[in-house]
Amino acid sequence: MDSSDAALVARVLHGEVNAYSALVSRYRDKYARYAVHMLGNREDAEEALQDAFTRAYRSLARCEDPERFGAWLFRILVNRCRTSGARRVRRGQTFVHDETALLNASEEHPAEQTMWREEIERALGELSADQREAFLLKYVEELGYDEMAEITGVGVSALKMRVMRACDRLRVLLREVHSA
Amino acid sequence: MRMRTARSLLAVLLVGSAFRSTEAQDPRLSNRLDAPTRKALSAIVDSARAQGIPVEPLMEKVYQGLAMGADGSRIVVAVRSLTLEMGNAHRVLGAVATTDELKAAASAVHAGVPAVELGKMKKQSGLRRSLTLPFTVLADIVSRGVPVAAATNAIKSLVGAGAKDKDISDFQRNVSVDIEKGAQPAAAAETRAKGAVVPPPKAENREHE
Amino acid sequence: MVQELQRPVRVDDSFDRRVMVRVRRIYAERRHRGIVGWLAAAANVTRRPAWAAALAAGVVAVVSLSVLKKSPSTVPANGQAIPVQFVLVAPDAHSVAVVGDFNNWGLNDTALVAENHDGVWSVSAPVHTGVHRYAFLVNGKQWVADPTAPRAADDDFGQPSSALVVEASTQ
Repeated sequence: MDSSDAALVARVLHGEVNAYSALVSRYRDKYARYAVHMLGNREDAEEALQDAFTRAYRSLARCEDPERFGAWLFRILVNRCRTSGARRVRRGQTFVHDETALLNASEEHPAEQTMWREEIERALGELSADQREAFLLKYVEELGYDEMAEITGVGVSALKMRVMRACDRLRVLLREVHSA
Repeated sequence: MRMRTARSLLAVLLVGSAFRSTEAQDPRLSNRLDAPTRKALSAIVDSARAQGIPVEPLMEKVYQGLAMGADGSRIVVAVRSLTLEMGNAHRVLGAVATTDELKAAASAVHAGVPAVELGKMKKQSGLRRSLTLPFTVLADIVSRGVPVAAATNAIKSLVGAGAKDKDISDFQRNVSVDIEKGAQPAAAAETRAKGAVVPPPKAENREHE
Repeated sequence: MVQELQRPVRVDDSFDRRVMVRVRRIYAERRHRGIVGWLAAAANVTRRPAWAAALAAGVVAVVSLSVLKKSPSTVPANGQAIPVQFVLVAPDAHSVAVVGDFNNWGLNDTALVAENHDGVWSVSAPVHTGVHRYAFLVNGKQWVADPTAPRAADDDFGQPSSALVVEASTQ
């Protein structure tokens, strides 16, 4: 059975609603990462992600390029995160990591790793939403500026400026942490 | 060891349960199926899903069994059988087959048509033509007594001659009427297939008429 | 720092289920709207047999074998439902319903209850594109295959049933 995005989208539009679950499984972890860092907490992130999947299903017939369903879904998620409201960073929150990644991670003591992770999240929280979005798309999701422009609707030069400012700010914030 | 156990458990949880998600929504499943049946069905449905076999037809089979008053073990047997048949169909029809084609092909396999014959038909017909209706009709005429070989040849000749779904529907109706009137099933199928694939007269011939 | 942020984030195991609950609700709502809309049109000419109501409403009634006339007005787009008429001649029956894949084999609220016109029972309902198994339930207890439709080659439950193919594309 062809399990490409286009094939799955075709099956869903054909009335096979359960085929949509394969698309959910395919993209949920990947896009959960962006939502968590953008919104600062798991609950809001999962709600935004659920909402994005639901909206994508509702308007699936309007997905012009089913082969790029993932990118289209991501655009919906980015917009959803923008309207999600104020970011909240919860102290002491830990995330469930992929076990393999955990095993392959640095040899730092796990407690230190958690603290470092929290500091990064806190610093991200200090950025404006626009800067945080641009930074995450560029460096974490590793998109090109043209792709970022397509997803956000913002011009390339404006995006570059936001990324630059985000990097400058994060550098300052994290230097402060280390020197403290 | 603990980590391996945790990873296996994680894999089981992450596969998820198509059956359990439907069960959560439909009280018929939890009210009328006992726990061992639900567990068995959940395993079959999840395994099918993991193999890329569409699970909606399997759930439809469950509902059919419930409506027809079948007990849990009979429903499990039916769903398991359908899963195997759809798996066979999937293997021979390949990734291009739609869910409907797989359902119809499974029906033909259930009636006794070798899956490999269905694969040959798919290759012969090309990718654009859906064989949902031809497979459905094939299952039908076999169940009316047309020998598998005769039925397969009849449908193959129709598909190979480019017969449309309407022609194949008419063929099915004619064969079933003939059999009801007392015709030998094989003879009915062969005769009607010949009649259905007669090509229209060429234009130059008509001028001479 | 980027490496840390790029580490995978796993969502809760029930996430997929929660999304699919919402998605199936939308799907069910859309189907219900299709059936309700059609029934509302038919109900405007009550006290007539369902087939007459369907014709009066301008709906194309299709004999139960399944293959549609391939005209643009009746060829459904993928995922849409088109009206299909089910007919059973059963002069001695007290009730006839149509039950199948298209209504999840529901016997109560979702069964399609046929109307009797001098022993000819019929009901029309929108059916989504695809292959469907179905049967008539006569007098609430006897399963009868549609004599005009292909047989569904399944003897799984010791009861007969029929196959209905509703296709979207012209061939």
